[in-house]
Amino acid sequence: MTAALQVSGLAKRFGEKTAVDHVDLTVPQGSFYGLVGQNGAGKTTTLSMAVGLLRPDEGSSRIFGVDVWADPGQAKALVGVLPDGLAMPERLTGREVLTYLGLLRGLPPDVVAGRAEELLSVLGLKEAEKTLVVEYSTGMRKKIGLATALLHGPRLLVLDEPFEAVDPISAATLKTLLRGFVAGGGSIVLSSHVMALVEQLCDHVAVIDRGRVAAAGPLERVRGEGSLEDRFVELVGDGEAGVRELSWLS
Amino acid sequence: MAVVTAGARLAPPSTIAVAMTMARMKAATLRHALRGQRAGLVTSGGALGLALAGGTVFLAVRGLPGGADADLLAAAYAVWMFGWILGPVFAGGGDETLRPEHFASLGIPPRRLAAGLLAAAFTGVAPVISLLALAGLVVHGARQGAAAALVAVPAAAMTLAVFVLLSKVAVAALGLALRSRLGAVAAGVVNGAILAFLGQGWVFAVAFGQGARMPSGVVRALPSGWGLVATEAAAAGRWAHAAGVLAGTAVLIAVLLAVWAALLTRRLGAPRASTRGRRPMRATTGTGVVLAKELRTWSRDLARTHQLTFALAYGLCFAGAPLVLGWSGMLPWAGPLAVLMAAAMSANLYGGDGTALWLTLMSPGARDVRGRQLAWLLTVAPVALVVTVAGAALAGGPWALPLAVLAAALGGGAGLVVLVSVYGLVPGVDPHRRGGNPLRVSEDDGAITGTAYLMLVLAALTAVPAGLVALRHGWAGVPVGLVTGALFAWGFGLLAERRLRAYGPELLHIMRTGRRPSGGSAGGLSSSLSELPAGQRAVVMVCMSLGAIPLVPQGIVAGALLSGGASEQSWFLALYMPPDLRWPTVAFMVLLGAGMYATGLTIFLRARRAARGGAA
Repeated sequence: MTAALQVSGLAKRFGEKTAVDHVDLTVPQGSFYGLVGQNGAGKTTTLSMAVGLLRPDEGSSRIFGVDVWADPGQAKALVGVLPDGLAMPERLTGREVLTYLGLLRGLPPDVVAGRAEELLSVLGLKEAEKTLVVEYSTGMRKKIGLATALLHGPRLLVLDEPFEAVDPISAATLKTLLRGFVAGGGSIVLSSHVMALVEQLCDHVAVIDRGRVAAAGPLERVRGEGSLEDRFVELVGDGEAGVRELSWLS
Repeated sequence: MAVVTAGARLAPPSTIAVAMTMARMKAATLRHALRGQRAGLVTSGGALGLALAGGTVFLAVRGLPGGADADLLAAAYAVWMFGWILGPVFAGGGDETLRPEHFASLGIPPRRLAAGLLAAAFTGVAPVISLLALAGLVVHGARQGAAAALVAVPAAAMTLAVFVLLSKVAVAALGLALRSRLGAVAAGVVNGAILAFLGQGWVFAVAFGQGARMPSGVVRALPSGWGLVATEAAAAGRWAHAAGVLAGTAVLIAVLLAVWAALLTRRLGAPRASTRGRRPMRATTGTGVVLAKELRTWSRDLARTHQLTFALAYGLCFAGAPLVLGWSGMLPWAGPLAVLMAAAMSANLYGGDGTALWLTLMSPGARDVRGRQLAWLLTVAPVALVVTVAGAALAGGPWALPLAVLAAALGGGAGLVVLVSVYGLVPGVDPHRRGGNPLRVSEDDGAITGTAYLMLVLAALTAVPAGLVALRHGWAGVPVGLVTGALFAWGFGLLAERRLRAYGPELLHIMRTGRRPSGGSAGGLSSSLSELPAGQRAVVMVCMSLGAIPLVPQGIVAGALLSGGASEQSWFLALYMPPDLRWPTVAFMVLLGAGMYATGLTIFLRARRAARGGAA
């Protein structure tokens, strides 16, 4: 079966710094795939290149077999993306953003209206009906971002830090929603540095360290006997014994 | 090393300590700027400022005590003061290297924070240059005796403090004003009017000159003239008067500092956007929905509201100013001028939306460029047309020429705003991160100002063909303007669409990081510019931004008027010349302007070829 997302040999340098160093990832259809790594490990850069938001120096990315860079139109119709910290059309309300993006994606107006209504009520954004996105809190921005990713009914979701700054109640809603998406045959790639969350949700995981894949595969195989956190520290820890304390606080 | 235990209660740092620390932070960023990409801008701006300061001091050297030349010096300082107030407004928020938000969590009392930020504000190129210009006061004093020179020294320093503080208060007040629609409109009107009147300053000089001489009362009553008043009082031996004026300046400084501190505390907290009724989006097509989004952004983003009213007020006031001389011939040009200024203000249309570009990239079929062009036209054209028609009616014509130029400039502007903002993209600050200063649409206001100037020139050039036809053949110019306008809008839009499709990810990367991708060809104009050595870059910037002045108004337009046998001198140097020197003046101006463009372009292209050759 074709992989939902197949990333081969992706590489990106920014000046002297190698951000992503020949990353290979295979996200099988129907999997819930977690990407974990420290700050600056290259998760966001990898995901941006995988969905066509950043041009790689080397390597390729295929979504359901469609090359993202050779046939962007078809590839981008198959994926819903939640990037981390990028702007939206800020002077629109949540409903207007969804209407706008749905029509841009080529959906019929009545379908857009129905889906926008449902997304706003499920994600708890209905009470902010008259609020412009520029006035949204960080958590609300994540939710409206997720709504735009789900709107056109993609078969693959690529989510960069979807749970950051989201309150616990909304996080529970989100988890139910994402599990339902996978149960219905969809595939998800999400990045996070919260190990417990990845362990709880994902069935596959890849550990990224300094731009390379340190380990990848089904969750059980990667973490082995211990917890994912122990395995993670073992894989990416720089060998210095223990975490140091601050001299004036201890 | 002193030992400070955790949880110890520390006294807040003294005013002096805060000021010193912030001045050092500012100096550090300045050092980076001088080594970095903006070095060219800093040096070219600095050179221009030095020339102006030299000119001001020259007025003092040449001046006659108490005579009309001292009035001229006072007037020059008034111009410096308005420059301080308006510069940051035009450049998008002023110098914000250190922002109050950065220190909000430190618990520094507001006055002390203001004093610290003030110290940082004094650390820079512009204050040093202004101080040089203010040294003219000391020169002026020295010509009248040692006592006057002695008074002039503190007077100069205090005047500089007034300039810097006025600038800070203006920016802070404007930031607050921009939290409401009414405030944004009012600020746009005031700023546009001041800029226009500065540009038309000579009109008023001539108007007042016809009466008797410079309005010496006015230029001395302004805070910028108080230093001169004190110096002159000292020269005349009226010590109490001199001391009183200096004390008054000190009081003004204290008041401004207090006002600024009060404004700073109010600025923390995000600005409120307008909350009017929301009409539902009824668009059903791709372009239609982009248009709907853009029209909503134009009416809801107060920074854009400010830009539009600014452009309109500028056009109206610039064209209306010669009424002071009883000459209404410029009125029909209010509309075209407003269009040019509106295009200049929209020169970074894509950059202003920040990283929202990712959504355009993720929906490849959409016609984002066309929707934006249409929205710009719908926002600017109706009011510009009304203003032009009304102006022509009031002035009793001409009709064909301004209407032809208006049509051409509207189309040219609609094409150029998307083209320039895609090719010369200046990374914007994402709207939700603008913080307490809604004018702060970009971190790089040098580049913003540069593209705005470039846009003024380019948009004016798109109107030249229609204007020439209208001059020769009257009404035939209007259809020509409509056709060239449509062609420019269509063609430039097409180029912008291609650019977005081919280099979208690179442009997004620029927005995201504020940096150009290494070795990429995506940066276009401004990245090639930034690869030039600082000196050459300065030459290119000066040639490109100032070349239009001799070429277009003083050269081409003056020549056209001359060939038409114009009897009015209006505002063209050549027409003030003796008859046999008029055509040579026009020729000289055209050659000068064309030469400046040729020089700038040659250096630029050579550098780009060299860069490409090196990369290959």
